[in-house]
Amino acid sequence: MNRLAVLLAHRVRRDRVQLALWIVGTAALALMATTAVADTFGDRAERESILRLTILAPAILVFRGTPNGAGEGEFATFLILAFLALLAGLMSTFLAVRHTRGDEEQGRAELVEATPAGRTLPTAATVVHGVLANAVLGVAVALAFGLSGLPAEGSAVAGAAVAATGVAFFGVGLVAAQVFRTSRGANGFSVAVVLAAYLLRGLGDAMGESSEDGLTRTAAWPSRLSPIGWAQRAEPFAANDLAPLLLSAGVAAALVALVFAFQSARDSGASILPDAQGRAAAGPLLGSSLGLAWRLNAGAVLAWAVGAAVFGVLATTLSPLVDEIGSDAPAIVETLRRIAGETASFEEAFVTTFFTMVGILAAAAGLQAVMRARLEEAHGTAEPVLATPVSREGWLAGYAVVAAIAVVAVVGLAGAGAVLGAASADDPGATAELALRAALAQLPAALVYLGAVLVLLVVAPRLTIPVGWALLALGAFFGVFGELLGIPDWMHELSPFSHVPVPVGGEVDWTGGSWMLAIAAGLVAASVVGMRRRELVTEG
Amino acid sequence: MTTVISTRALEKRFGRTVALDGLDLEVGAGEIHGFLGPNGAGKSTTIRILLGLARPTGGEARLFGEDPWRRAAELHRRVAYVPGDVSLWPNLTGGESIDLLARLRGGTADRRAYDARKARLLEVFQLDPRKKGRAYSKGNRQKVALVAALATPAELYILDEPTSGLDPLMEQVFNREIRRASSEGATVLLSSHILSEVEALCDRVSIIRAGRRVESGTLPELRHLTRSSVGFAHRPEQDAELAAIAGVHDLVVDDGRVRFTVDSDRIALVLPELGRLGVQGLTVAPPSLEELFLRHYGDDVSTAREEAHR
Repeated sequence: MNRLAVLLAHRVRRDRVQLALWIVGTAALALMATTAVADTFGDRAERESILRLTILAPAILVFRGTPNGAGEGEFATFLILAFLALLAGLMSTFLAVRHTRGDEEQGRAELVEATPAGRTLPTAATVVHGVLANAVLGVAVALAFGLSGLPAEGSAVAGAAVAATGVAFFGVGLVAAQVFRTSRGANGFSVAVVLAAYLLRGLGDAMGESSEDGLTRTAAWPSRLSPIGWAQRAEPFAANDLAPLLLSAGVAAALVALVFAFQSARDSGASILPDAQGRAAAGPLLGSSLGLAWRLNAGAVLAWAVGAAVFGVLATTLSPLVDEIGSDAPAIVETLRRIAGETASFEEAFVTTFFTMVGILAAAAGLQAVMRARLEEAHGTAEPVLATPVSREGWLAGYAVVAAIAVVAVVGLAGAGAVLGAASADDPGATAELALRAALAQLPAALVYLGAVLVLLVVAPRLTIPVGWALLALGAFFGVFGELLGIPDWMHELSPFSHVPVPVGGEVDWTGGSWMLAIAAGLVAASVVGMRRRELVTEG
Repeated sequence: MTTVISTRALEKRFGRTVALDGLDLEVGAGEIHGFLGPNGAGKSTTIRILLGLARPTGGEARLFGEDPWRRAAELHRRVAYVPGDVSLWPNLTGGESIDLLARLRGGTADRRAYDARKARLLEVFQLDPRKKGRAYSKGNRQKVALVAALATPAELYILDEPTSGLDPLMEQVFNREIRRASSEGATVLLSSHILSEVEALCDRVSIIRAGRRVESGTLPELRHLTRSSVGFAHRPEQDAELAAIAGVHDLVVDDGRVRFTVDSDRIALVLPELGRLGVQGLTVAPPSLEELFLRHYGDDVSTAREEAHR
């Protein structure tokens, strides 16, 4: 068999599960969006009212897309296209780095490069692999749109737009893999580029100009710098113009040419940027197990907290618009109210819904810190620490403390963001107070998760990571959407998020909250005591 | 002599597999004790139990006379450890990892002494402390762990195959540093499957196989268990007389030289005979630990391997 084909088959085989998940997941998301259009926004007048709303609140566009009309296809594109393109970008950059820098860093690439395949053929195989993956993704997205009964041409253009964006970012990932010494560095840079592209086109949409009827919008200049912006300019179901996608293809081709130029000039395993030198001695914080736990988690905690702050700002800046929405889109009001509680005022419902998301973010941040303890244990880096005068329980307690800090930081910064955002409200004081109470209300639920996963880490260490995330996903889903979906009450009640003290009509019922605080404290204490009795479990 | 490490009938099972099957081990204060065995014999499992990272399923282990599982943190004030397969934090530099571990051990109270010790070790091991953990090669990761262990004084050094990945030059440096620590009064438990390393350093040796101790003693004590090899220039007229010497085994003539082996405790009886024959170019090599080792594992390496899988 031809060597390129062997290398390609090897890549497909290595990625068969991971890529299948990305592709099916992205297509499923497209399908969910089109179904939502049919179910929730089936009425054209309703769709029009929502699109007109974006004139009043262009900030919404950052999370949606460019309005291109009120037809079902156009509306689905408005809802989801930018996000699908973002996912294609992430899939592609991870793929590019995994098969180039990742292999070089692990020393696997050397094995292959020492065969007659040489130094460049593996990269060529990766290029083919990445383009094929995006082609399959494009077809899957087009099928998802088409199967929902949308016009075939528009569906095909939407699929092509997603695939073209993926290919452009694939080029970015490949270049990053040449430039950075580690896959961590290359992935970090690529993800930053993808997110920046998403934000640029969001800004472009928000700064753009709406048409007379408010149903379409011309994006402003920042959008033209972003491959995701180019995908939107293809205007699936409206203009169906493939020309902007050529730009993505051109960028990808240029980047791939650059990659081969770099590749032929550098040593295997070397990078364009040298690996940065670090400190020769540790800073003052790095002197205890707690200090190490903080150091290992600080970056992630900071990222979660900044995200939460943005959420907080949005919660209160968007709330002045609630009256407009209230009169224009009763279906949305009804949805929000069911999440927040039947008797909530509209503003309360809106802010509380936002903060339920913050609660989930906080729980996720805390969980990640606890899971770091498990990673330390599994990767063998906990062992040297526990061979010093650090007790097993003290070691775990360090991660519990950092996880609690993460939860409080996320909720706290979301609250701070909300207070900032409230400045533009009709009654800044009242809105800020409402937001702060909603923020505080999320603390107990997030802490319960933290305790539960700590216990899991002690009792079934190997399951910590998969089961931990699954618990959070289920709890978030049942707790937030349970009533909407009509699941049985007892299942709904199992979720900590269904017991969050909701500020309703100015009154807050703290019973659920205090119970959860007690449960959380009990779980954390049990885990620390349990750790006294547990061995280290390194493998798997 | 006080005992620093002692295990009695130590057992450790992982499900159905038996990692330790009644291990007895004694290490006295001030000793450099070689802990020898093939991969998977149970060396690392023993060390994990001694460090309180794993709990024995049976028997008992004592470190400084105390239970290493229940009193782990207190005991670790007196212990420095180098793991066999060193994992470092990928985003911490080598220098940061060394400082972290030294501080955790509480060995940095005398800041100046610690800094001097660390600087000297970085120098002799030729280690660049500014690189991130993920950028170190295997040998350099090993050096980070060695410097971290040696940078603060300890009463007991537990070293699990500490020289894997080090080049011969660095092995010399390692040997020197271990002798230095030993001369300061420390006890060393050195696990290894590299015999020359143990021969060069250790006072006493315990050999384990399949979770059980098969031999223990000083090197001279163990040497009586095997044969020295003798060689000299071949002269055909002596063949008959050679064959008549008592205690000679495996006699061969090869490439103009006679070679045979002699039970080590009979070598003194054989030498006068050779003197009488007036042999030329005589060499007598003491038994290497290699042979000792082969005698214990050579016959059934495959079973030992199977038992190694757990």
